[in-house]
Amino acid sequence: MEFGPIFRSLLRNRARVILIVAEVALTLAIVANCLGLILDTRAKLARPSGFDDEHLIAIYSNPFDDRLRDPKLLNQLVDQDRRALAAVAGVRAVSETGLRPWESSGSRTSVRVPGTHDEPVPTQAAQADPGLFDALGLPIVQGRDFTEAEYDHGADAPADEVQPVVVSRALADQLYPSGDAIGKAIAIADESERFTIVGIVDRFYNPFGEASEKIMLSPGRSAGFDFGAHYLVRTQGNPGPLLPQLEKALLSVDKGRLVRLRTVIEDRDEYHGRDRLLVASLDAVMALLVLVTALGIVGLTSFSVAERQRQIGTRRALGADRLAIVRHFLLENWMVTSFGVVLGVLLAYGLNFGIVTWVAGAKLSPATVATGALALWAIGLGASLGPALRGSRVPPAIATRNV
Amino acid sequence: MLLYNLRLAWKSVRRYPVLSALILLGIALGVGVSTTFITAYHVLARDPVPGKSESLYYVRMNSWGAADDPFLRTRTPPPLITWRDALELLKSRIPVRGTATFGARLTVFPPGGASPLRQRGRLVTTDFFPMFAAPFRYGGPWSREADAQGATVTVISSALNDRLFGGADSVGRTIRVEKAELRIVGVLAPWRPRVRAYAPLSDPLAAPEALFLPLALTASMEMRPAEMQMDWRNPAPGEEKLPYASRLMINEVLFMELWAELPDAAAVRAYKSFLNAYVAEQKKLGRFPHPADVRVTSLLDLLDEWKVVPPQTKALAAISLLFLVVAALNLIGLFLGKFLARASTVGVRRALGASRWMIFAQHLVECELMGLAGGCLGVLLSLAGLAVLNRVYGDGPDGVPFFQLDLPMLLAAVALSLLAGAIAGLYPAWRICAIPPARHLKSQ
Amino acid sequence: MPMLKMDDVSKIYRTGLVETRALRDFSLEVDEGEFVTITGPSGSGKTTFLNVSGLLDAFEQGKYWLDGMDVSRLSDREMSRVRNEKIGFIFQGFNLLPDLDVFDNVDVPLRYRRLPARERKARIEKAIAMVGLSSRLRHLPSQLSGGQQQRVAIARVLAGDPKLILADEPTGNLDSAMAREIMEILEQVNEAGTTIIMVTHNPEHAARAHRQLHIADGRLVDFERITPFPLNRVERLEPASRQVAG
Repeated sequence: MEFGPIFRSLLRNRARVILIVAEVALTLAIVANCLGLILDTRAKLARPSGFDDEHLIAIYSNPFDDRLRDPKLLNQLVDQDRRALAAVAGVRAVSETGLRPWESSGSRTSVRVPGTHDEPVPTQAAQADPGLFDALGLPIVQGRDFTEAEYDHGADAPADEVQPVVVSRALADQLYPSGDAIGKAIAIADESERFTIVGIVDRFYNPFGEASEKIMLSPGRSAGFDFGAHYLVRTQGNPGPLLPQLEKALLSVDKGRLVRLRTVIEDRDEYHGRDRLLVASLDAVMALLVLVTALGIVGLTSFSVAERQRQIGTRRALGADRLAIVRHFLLENWMVTSFGVVLGVLLAYGLNFGIVTWVAGAKLSPATVATGALALWAIGLGASLGPALRGSRVPPAIATRNV
Repeated sequence: MLLYNLRLAWKSVRRYPVLSALILLGIALGVGVSTTFITAYHVLARDPVPGKSESLYYVRMNSWGAADDPFLRTRTPPPLITWRDALELLKSRIPVRGTATFGARLTVFPPGGASPLRQRGRLVTTDFFPMFAAPFRYGGPWSREADAQGATVTVISSALNDRLFGGADSVGRTIRVEKAELRIVGVLAPWRPRVRAYAPLSDPLAAPEALFLPLALTASMEMRPAEMQMDWRNPAPGEEKLPYASRLMINEVLFMELWAELPDAAAVRAYKSFLNAYVAEQKKLGRFPHPADVRVTSLLDLLDEWKVVPPQTKALAAISLLFLVVAALNLIGLFLGKFLARASTVGVRRALGASRWMIFAQHLVECELMGLAGGCLGVLLSLAGLAVLNRVYGDGPDGVPFFQLDLPMLLAAVALSLLAGAIAGLYPAWRICAIPPARHLKSQ
Repeated sequence: MPMLKMDDVSKIYRTGLVETRALRDFSLEVDEGEFVTITGPSGSGKTTFLNVSGLLDAFEQGKYWLDGMDVSRLSDREMSRVRNEKIGFIFQGFNLLPDLDVFDNVDVPLRYRRLPARERKARIEKAIAMVGLSSRLRHLPSQLSGGQQQRVAIARVLAGDPKLILADEPTGNLDSAMAREIMEILEQVNEAGTTIIMVTHNPEHAARAHRQLHIADGRLVDFERITPFPLNRVERLEPASRQVAG
């Protein structure tokens, strides 16, 4: 192949070469970093909660009628609500719980194995009734569920009484790495309260604070006048159409309150909103950038072909066939693009270092950079194909033309 | 000459329509993308309380009492303070203004018996309004006496006023909030600070609350904090039976934000030593078992420390600027090609007496014309882009879009497009004017 | 006073290691009002001479006076000004600006002279009338025949009212009828007092000049003065009847 002559001719067209190299390198740097951010965020977006999100409805009931300041009445109301909700056709399970899937809210605490001085483990904590596991679609894989009696008793239990809890696998494994957590003790970090692990759920994920995979669920009522009651309803089919019926069912039990219903999918979409926007923005920036760069390469190659019509004619006159002309331009572009890609890989890591240091984000993986490099290579070659083909159609006679 | 050059530029655009469209598109995309994301960053990162933020300071100290102090690990004091500390510290006269505040959820009963509304509210002292530059449409803040006496008054947002009173001047009217009848003393004008500077910890990008109540009503109305709260203390037996006001005074729940307006460095120093003295005094009473770690942080430093501006916004702004650079590089190539294709006509012009500078000016005018036209198109693109962003970040309850292209950003966009035109045009214009005039005259 | 005077002018082209002396110690005087033709084989330095004398190209050694002014070492701006005001170029390839119509093409040098609009208009219309193209003011070059295009180029020169016209094979791309026509216009312009230096391959055209020069290897080889044409040998030009079809 004619590497030498092409390389030397490139040296004489420095402006064009520098432009393409800089464009390709910068584009690769940006694309690789965008790609890295997109993949990270996509992975976050695709992460399942382990719940039956698509069939869940979250309901808030906020009493305003002063009658309901009486805790006994309120508890009765909660039990009536649970029954009324369960009676609506299409409802599969109902739970009264403080757990709020996808809402970035809830309560957190730190726990440890009692009697040790291990680093306290931060975890989400929530109270729930026995229906929770069925309502979430989150099976207990080891041990047992709460009982209705434990739920009734839970909130009023004295602090020194040992309560049963169900924990997520991530929490159980951290406290008891040998996997025998059932029946073992767990305590709030200052040991003011102790619990016994009676059950373990798998695959728990609810993004809230630093402990999105860890939860400690204890039986007990969490409803009160100030913060109201929170229910989770799992439906058999599409939850949307059931919302009005569920609202009516609750208000027919008692009108002295405000009721707000939302599908968990809505909450999840809201939680993902800004990340989705980020991915969409990065997608758009990346696509437009590649478009702009491809156009730039097409433009520069076209000019270089137009500039060298006579030279092409001469080559043709000297016996080069069309394929040779196409090959010449592709080879030339391949060399320039390769140079840009090599520089771009360095730039990509440089930019990534800057982003990780001054902004935030994850380190680039070599696979991402390689993908970007391959893509840019293909784009560089693809973009020069058109002009190269046009160049190959220059008639040899142009060489002898004088004017 | 400028007019003549503009005419030549227009002719050149018409002569190469496809190439010119590509150039225009390139500039428009570059300016559009960078304006969109720089605006997003600019809106989020700009001073949330212009002219005041230098003198607003946030107070933190470590009142955590349990053996396991999660904040010792992070080497920062807890982000919030207790009710009793907030009340005590508010008494200091060192700050010219000061407020302690927390967010609550309130049930509002509209006059005329319509169904009640659940609204976000905030308990504040009257200094809150001037400190955070809350704009009033009707009336104004309540008096300091009202703060002292726990007067049943309120300031409502413009959105709530529209909803309850159809936007009329409702000052002097009464609404029922929870159990209390509150007299409206002020109605805010539409207010949508991009960052809720006074409560940067929980959902800092949310819109301000619908109601503001005197902090002194907390006890009588039994207001519970609805945003973040932290606790390490288990109540003593029988404590739940005590009245709410007493429980507030003995519990150690952290839920309050305390802000002080300190005009100069001397005041900051004086206030810090006041706080240290307070902690020392409390240590004598058995509180504050951990090392005193009093922080008086300026508003801007706090926003920085808590990364209130999503870091991705900054990354996107940086990436979009690089995008503009690539677009400009691309334009250099396109302009270069376009100009060099015309080298022979430039030779003719040179032969006819155009100096190098005139040729340079002619081509630069063309670049700037394309830059400006592309920039205008880019601004339109960025308006569309911001509309998309607004769909996610959400318009405020007062109908003010979250991201807006303000005048400084608009000027910046125009400057950016002129700059792009100049950067992209300088080299090609220089190249074309440096060509010896004789070179292209012989053959055409 | 000579219109053009060159003393030992040398012009060297360098490409890589090779040095080409395109003009060697070139000396020449052309009087005001003279019509001089230059012939020579290709590569002899004819075009270089035109480029140097037209201030399109700088030269290394020697002295050059144009219209009594030393133009050997001028800045770009000064050179552009001299080109604009004193020199008119006519090229083999016409070199009209393709996207400008006839009127605007003739306008170009006047723009660079920054004349007021009214004067420009008067000069343009007069110059175009002189070459007989008044009816084609708004035609683009591509809509004109080769001869017409060259007449526009001449009008462009005339509008600027130069002292010296440099013509580089102005008839080279034209058939003989059109070529004759162009020669007649040039001779008429020369009659009016403008100095003309013309490079040509056509011996018949070369013979019509006051003086014929021959260049070879960057030097003048022949220095033969011939008698000026008697006035009555120039045919009068009838602009309106001279339009060429096509």
